[in-house]
Amino acid sequence: MSDTVTYRPPIFSLQRVWTLASSTFTQLVRMKTFYFLAVFAVLVIAASNLNLLYTPVQQLKVIRETSLGAMSIFSWLFAISATAVLIPRDLEDRTLYTILSKPVPRLEYLVGKLMGVLLVIGVALALMYAFFSVILYFQEYRIISNEMAHMAQNPRYTDQDRASEAAMIAAYGPDLNLLIAVLAVFLKSAVLAAVAMLVSTFASSSLFTIIISTVIFLIGHFHKMATDFWVVEQQGGMITRILGEILVLVIPDFQIFNIADSVSGGQTVSLNLVTQMSALALMYVAIFTIASWFLFSDKEF
Amino acid sequence: MSSPAVEVDNLTKIFSLSLRRDYLVAVQNLSFTVAAGEVYGLIGPNGSGKSTTMKVILGLMKATRGSTRIFGLDSRDVRSRHQVGFLPENPYFYKHLTGKETLHFYGKLCGLKKRDRNERCAELLALVDLEDAADRRLGGYSKGMLQRIGLAQAIIQRPQLVILDEPTAGVDPSGSRKIRDLIFQLKEDGVAVILCSHLLEQVQEVCDRVAIMQKGKMLREGALNELIAIEDEVELVMKNLPPDLQAQIEKLVNDDAQAQMVRAGHPRTTLERLFLSETEGEEGSAHE
Repeated sequence: MSDTVTYRPPIFSLQRVWTLASSTFTQLVRMKTFYFLAVFAVLVIAASNLNLLYTPVQQLKVIRETSLGAMSIFSWLFAISATAVLIPRDLEDRTLYTILSKPVPRLEYLVGKLMGVLLVIGVALALMYAFFSVILYFQEYRIISNEMAHMAQNPRYTDQDRASEAAMIAAYGPDLNLLIAVLAVFLKSAVLAAVAMLVSTFASSSLFTIIISTVIFLIGHFHKMATDFWVVEQQGGMITRILGEILVLVIPDFQIFNIADSVSGGQTVSLNLVTQMSALALMYVAIFTIASWFLFSDKEF
Repeated sequence: MSSPAVEVDNLTKIFSLSLRRDYLVAVQNLSFTVAAGEVYGLIGPNGSGKSTTMKVILGLMKATRGSTRIFGLDSRDVRSRHQVGFLPENPYFYKHLTGKETLHFYGKLCGLKKRDRNERCAELLALVDLEDAADRRLGGYSKGMLQRIGLAQAIIQRPQLVILDEPTAGVDPSGSRKIRDLIFQLKEDGVAVILCSHLLEQVQEVCDRVAIMQKGKMLREGALNELIAIEDEVELVMKNLPPDLQAQIEKLVNDDAQAQMVRAGHPRTTLERLFLSETEGEEGSAHE
C-alpha cells in the first residue's frame, strides 16, 4: 500500500458531477435506449413517403409534424421514466451506499443523475434532428424539382411564379426554426425530468413517480387556463382560489414550450420567446433541483 | 493523524415505525473508539444495531442523539468520507460497467488523477485477482467476484479507515483467505478497519478489539485476547512429546491438590487450512 493521499476534496466538484452524469449516460445507453432512434427513423421515412394527395407544402409539413411529434413524445416519456427509476434502482442495488460513502455531496449526486438523463435526451434529439433534417432537405429538393418541372411545361407560369412557388416550398424545409422547436422540446423535457427527480426523492416506488410526474405534466399544459380562471378572474370560492394559486406556483407552465405546432406550420419564432423559454426552463430546473436536494439531504438509507 | 479513526459518542438511533408514535430503538447510548491502524470487530445477532451504527458513521443516517466522528471530523461532514472506504453486505454495483470501469468510476469520485487512477486500478485488479475479468461487465460476475471488486473500490483512494460489512459473504475459502490477508495488509499499513461479520472465527483471527452488541446496546467491548482468555486455564502445546514424558506430566498434575488436567490430545487444524492445503496442492499439481 502506498502513502496516504493528501488531496482534500472540494465542497462542490464539477468533475464528480460529470463522472456521475457520464456514468448515468452510459447506463441508459447500455439499456438500449437508443433503439428508439430506429423507430423514429422508420416513422420519418414512412411520413416522407406518404402519397395522400398532399400539396407539396403539406408533404413537408407532415414530415415536420411527425418528426417533431415523435421527438416530443420520446423526450417526455424518457424524461419521466428514466429519472423515475434511477435513484430507486441505486438504492435497491445498494450502489447508492458506495457512492454516498465516498466524498460525494448529495447535491452532486442529484445534479449528476439529472445531467446524465438530459445528456441522453440531448444526444438523442440531436441525432433525430440531424436525421430528419437530411430527409427533409432531400424531400424539399425532390418536391421543388418536380414542381419546377411541372410548371415549366405550362407556359402560363412566369419565372416569378416559379421562384415564388420554390420559396414557399423552401419555407417548409430545414431551417433555424426547426432547431428552435427541438430546443423547446429539450427544455420541456429538462423541466419534466427535474419534476420527476423531485417526486422520486420522496416517492415510495418508481410507479408512483411516473404517475405523479405524468399528472403534473398534463396539468402543466393547462397552466394558463388555471391562472386565468382561478387567479386573474377570481373565479370560484376561497378554497378553489387558494388551490389554484398553489397549482400555478408549484406546477410549471409546460404550454410555453409547445411551439412545435406553429413551427411545423411554417411560423417563425422570435428571439424573445427563445430567451423567455430558456430562462424559464433554467429557473424551473434550478428550483426543482434545490427542492430535491432539500428532501434528499434529509433522507436516510 | 492524531485523532482516532472513529469516535462514537453516546450514539442513539430511534426509528419511527408509523404515524402512531411507534418507535424502534435500534442503537442505544453506544460509545466506542477505533484507533488508527486497529482492526475492530463489531459482532452481534441480526437486528443488534451493527448496520445502523455503520450507516451513522458513514453519514447515510443521522444520529437521533450523540455523535460519530471520523478522524476528528463529524460524520455528517462530507469531507470526512475522503478517508473512508466502505464495502456493504452483498453489494451490487452498476451492472453496465466493467470491473475496470467500476474502479475508475469510484476513483474519479474520490478525485484521483488519471495517472494515479490507472496505476491504482491495475494494482487493485491484481490484488483482488480480477485481472482476467477486468473488461467484463459486472452483470456477468459471480457473487464472490462482486465482493472482491467491492473490496477494491472500497480502498481505491487509499483510505485510512475501511468499513467492511460481511466481506466474505458468498466468497469461497480461498477468496476468503485473500480478504483476510488483505485486512492484515491494511493493518500493517496503519489503516483502521471496522469488520462486521457473523463468521466469528474470522473475526477472532483478524481483530485486535471486539464489541459485542445486542438489541442496540454494547454487551462487551475490549481487546480480543483479554475477552476470550480463560483466566484459570493454561494451554501447553508440545511437539514430538514421547508417551512416557506425557504420562509423567499427567502424573505430576494429578498429584497436585489444586491442578487438574482438563484435556490432552492432538490439536486439530481448521477445516479452512485443510481445504486450502488440499485444493492448493491439487491446483499446483494440475498446473505442473
